[in-house]
This record gives sequence, structure tokens and C-alpha cells, in this order.
Amino acid sequence: MTGATLAPATASLIMFGVFFLLLVLRVPVAMALGLACVPIFLIEERLTPQNLVQETFNAYNSFILLAVPFFLLTANLMNVGGITTRLVRLSRDLVGHFPGGLAQVNVVLSIFFAGISGSSTADAASQSKLFIDAQRKEGYDDSFSVAITAVSAVLAVIIPPSILMVVWGGLLTVSIGGLFLAGIVPGLLIGFAQMATVHVYAKMRNYPTYPRATMVETFKAIAVSVPALMTPLIIIGGKIFGWFTATESACIAVLYAATLTMLVYREMDLKGLYHALLETGRLTGVALFCVGTASAFGWLLAYYQIPKALLEGVATWGMGPMTTGFFIAGVFLVVGCFLDAIPAIVIVGTVLEPLAKSVGLDPIHFAIIGIVSLAFGLVTPPYGLCLMISCAIAKIRMLDALKDVMIMLIPMFIVLALVIMFPQISLFLPRLFPPGTL
Amino acid sequence: MRRRFFVFRTITRWYSQLLSWLLVASVAVLIIPVSLQIFSRYTELIPSYIWTEELARFCFIWSIMLGAMVGIREGTHFVVDLWPPMNARAQAALRLLASVFVLLFACVFLWWGFEFTRFAFNRISELAELPLWLIHIPWPIAGATWILFLGEQMWDDLRIMAGKAPPPAARPADGIPGSIT
Repeated sequence: MTGATLAPATASLIMFGVFFLLLVLRVPVAMALGLACVPIFLIEERLTPQNLVQETFNAYNSFILLAVPFFLLTANLMNVGGITTRLVRLSRDLVGHFPGGLAQVNVVLSIFFAGISGSSTADAASQSKLFIDAQRKEGYDDSFSVAITAVSAVLAVIIPPSILMVVWGGLLTVSIGGLFLAGIVPGLLIGFAQMATVHVYAKMRNYPTYPRATMVETFKAIAVSVPALMTPLIIIGGKIFGWFTATESACIAVLYAATLTMLVYREMDLKGLYHALLETGRLTGVALFCVGTASAFGWLLAYYQIPKALLEGVATWGMGPMTTGFFIAGVFLVVGCFLDAIPAIVIVGTVLEPLAKSVGLDPIHFAIIGIVSLAFGLVTPPYGLCLMISCAIAKIRMLDALKDVMIMLIPMFIVLALVIMFPQISLFLPRLFPPGTL
Repeated sequence: MRRRFFVFRTITRWYSQLLSWLLVASVAVLIIPVSLQIFSRYTELIPSYIWTEELARFCFIWSIMLGAMVGIREGTHFVVDLWPPMNARAQAALRLLASVFVLLFACVFLWWGFEFTRFAFNRISELAELPLWLIHIPWPIAGATWILFLGEQMWDDLRIMAGKAPPPAARPADGIPGSIT
């Protein structure tokens, strides 16, 4: 075939074998992916480990991925600069009088936050600190508080801007503006499903509510929050109307957030700025480093034409577009339990892409199915990062919150099934724009 | 020996502080070329430079690699934990084993990263005309840095296994493990 020394089956056995062995031994995922490639690079005559270095370099040498640190920096600036507290007030005035008021505020704040930040773990960390203790004091069960904080945090990667969408669009050449638009409706539907879940819980367990805010209070809260709520419009609008590229609009958002926190709200000092920059650099480095080694891993899989072989196997099952959609969601849900979303996109997304194409699934629809499924993986054990963070902050065991998480996931799964069955849910917004403009 | 190790620990601490400053600088600098690119397109104030995109990518590569270097010392590279709770010695033994593999990875980056850098020694970038080795050198530097930081951690774990040091205090829960999704 390619004149390779190793047969594709042997090569994939070595790669996946080494990778899973190292994962079990608690080697960091990024390093495990890289190390799994090393034996192949040494054995294969035409390759050397310098290819590993070269492939990681090629992955980072990308202007699109540059949007990732900018999105993170925007979120960090807003957290340090007191924007979150203003959004809490607004959420409370809007939904505080519903049954389970504080938990509703928790979900609505996640929706607002999702529109500003593209990072679920950042949302889980900041909201766990904000809500879990407060909910405990108002008599909510711990497992409920942890579960609702964790599952609402996943909205951050579904509602644009989303780091997963940038990575997906950059790697699989799908329009990022299109993905942003496509994520809005599914994200809001999942948010509403969560609010309904809270409502049922609150009715059954008699959770407290807040008195209704007056119109004046609500308008005041909206007025204070308007500058912050402009951020998603800048990012998404700038991209859609073609004023800026994805990376440039993310940079504009950084400049905007910096101006807002330093000049308008005036809660940012130099120390806060330093911390926001450092935190951004740390997360960028660790998360994107993994993209490099995952790319090398995926590059080797492609070198042996393994995705093609898998595709030929699956093609004989004769699945239609909808069955394929469910199949893709299933694969991402399982992978998401064990792997972080970004390496999962790099490796599994590229493997499944030809399958999606062969049954005529729209690339944007395919991406949304993948991203929503991977987002659910953020709260499913053993590797559900958002759930782990919330549990750590609440100081309870993951096992204790699991039952409530599973209950809350049921309505979310229904939304996922609807998204798969009715492509219009995700596609009608991007299709409002003439082709070529996104 | 312990005295000498104290000096070593001071060096790694300062070195990692230096890396953190460089990391902050590289993230802050990232904003400049991209902003220039936008402003030059929409205003007449500055000419449209062709090197902005390339310079941005250069800083970006450095910030990823610097973040990955610091991540080893701070233990923020994310791991999948499938083990039940264990006592401190068993924990240290497992960490030590994982460190050996990361060390191997660091050696790969040091050795072949050096080759990679040498390969680019006499070349310059297309647009900004910067020497290319400047953006290849983070790879061997990362390898060497990881070896340094791993040395410190493996020493600590050996001492815990030998019962000569108390287990590390649990880290505060507010640190986000190394994932942004």
C-alpha cells in the first residue's frame, strides 16, 4: 500500500496499546499520545521521531488556533474585573422568583457566561465557588447543587463562542461563523431543558424562591450588564459580517473586555491583569500542547490509512444519515467519557469525517452532533472534568452526585436526539446567510 | 546532599518563575500584531504590515511551549485517574513510574528537537524574515526544562517512598486541571 514497514493493523495495535497502557499508569494524556507514536517513528524506515516534533510544530503554527488564548483571556478578564457579579444580579432579577430560584440563577448565569466565554471548565470552577455554598445554606441538597452546577457549565462549549468550535473548524475546515450560529439554538434548548429539570426538582423538594424583582430593578440590572452582554455580539457578529476573521474577532473581544474592566467598571488592577494573563498562558499551553501530540497521533493513523479501513468496515452496515448521526453521537459520548474533548476532536473527528460525508451529513450538523456529545462527556465519569471540579469544590465524592447528574442528563439527551433527527434545529440559523458569506 | 538539593530546588523555583514571566509576556504580546492587522485594515493610521500574522504565530508557538513547560512543574497536564485511593507511598511509586515515561518523552523532545532546530539554523522566515531557529528552539528547551523539573519531582517521590518525607499537602481545589473545554 504505502510501502510501510509495519502493517496497518500492527501499527494501530502498538499505538493504541501503548496509549491506553500509559493512560492507566497516569501519564498525562498529551505525553501518552506522543509516546505512543515514538515506537512507530523509530521502527518505520521512512520516519524518524523528528516527524513527531515537526507535526506538533505544524499544529501550533496556525493562525486559527490563536483564537483560543484570546477567548480564554476575555473570560479571565471578565471574571477578575467584576463582570460576573453584575451578571449574577441580572440573572437573579430575571428568574429568581421561579421555583428553585437560586438554581435557576445558576443555569441562566451559565447561559450568559457561555455567550462570553468558550470554556466549560472555567465556568464550572467559577460557578461552583459562587453557588454551591450558597445553595447549601438555602437548604438545597449537596448532590443536586453539584450536579446542576456541573451540567449547566457544559453550555459554555455549545453556546458560541466555543473553543471546541474553533478547534473543530480549524482542523476540519468548517466555517467557524457557521458553527457559532448553529450552536445557538441547541445550546438554548439544552439550557431550557435544564431549567425545566430544576423546576420539577424544586416542586418535589420544596426548594426556596426569591421575591419577584420590580421592573425598575430588572431594567437597572440590564442596563449595568449591557456592555458585558455586547461581547458575544462582537465576536459572533464580527465573524458573520466578515469584518474580522475568527482570531481577529477574539482579539477585539479581548480589547473590549480590557477596556470595560479597566475604564468602565474600574475593578481591574495590574495584579489582576497579570493573573489573568498568567492563567490564560497556563491553560493555553497545557490544553493546546495536547493538540500537537494528538495531531501527530492522527497523522500516523492517516499515514497507515487506518481511518479509511475503519470507514470501509462501517460502510457495509448501510446506515442512513440519521442512524449515522446517532452512531457518531454514540462514539463521541463513549470517547468523551475517557478523553478530553480537544484530543477527541483531533483524533476521532478526523476519523469520522469521511463517514459523515459519505452519508451526506451536513458538515455543520456533523460538527454540532460531535460537539454536543463531547460536551456531555464533561460530566460523565470516569473523566468528567466539570463534575470533578464541582465535586472538588463542594468536597463531596463524585459517586454521590452521580445519580442527580444522570437524571439531569435525560432531558439533555432528548435534546441531543432532536438535534440529530431534525438537522434544521442547528442548520436554520446558518442557512439564513447566503452561502459563501460565513 | 540535602543541602545541595536545596540549592537545586531554589534554582528550579526561580527558573519556573522566569518561565511564568516569559509566558505572561508572550500572551500579552500576542495581542499587538493581531490588533495592528485589524487597525491597519480599517484605518489609515498605520500601513498594513505583512509580517503581523507571522509574528503572532511565532509568539503563539512560544506561549504554548512555555505553558507546557510550566505545566509539568505545576502538575496541570491532565491525567485520567482510574485508580482507587491509595496510601502516600503507593501514590509516590505510581507517580514515579509515570514520571519515568514523561522523562522519556522529554528526552525525545530534547534530542530530536535539537535536530529540528539545527535543521533550521541558516533559514529565515518568509514574511518577517526572522531567523527560523527562534521558533524551533522551544522544543529542545522544553525537553531540557522537563528533565530539570522531573528531577525535582522524582527526588521528592523517592523520599516519600523511603519514608523520609511527609506526603505532599493536598492541592487546593480551585486550580483548574489542564483543560479548557
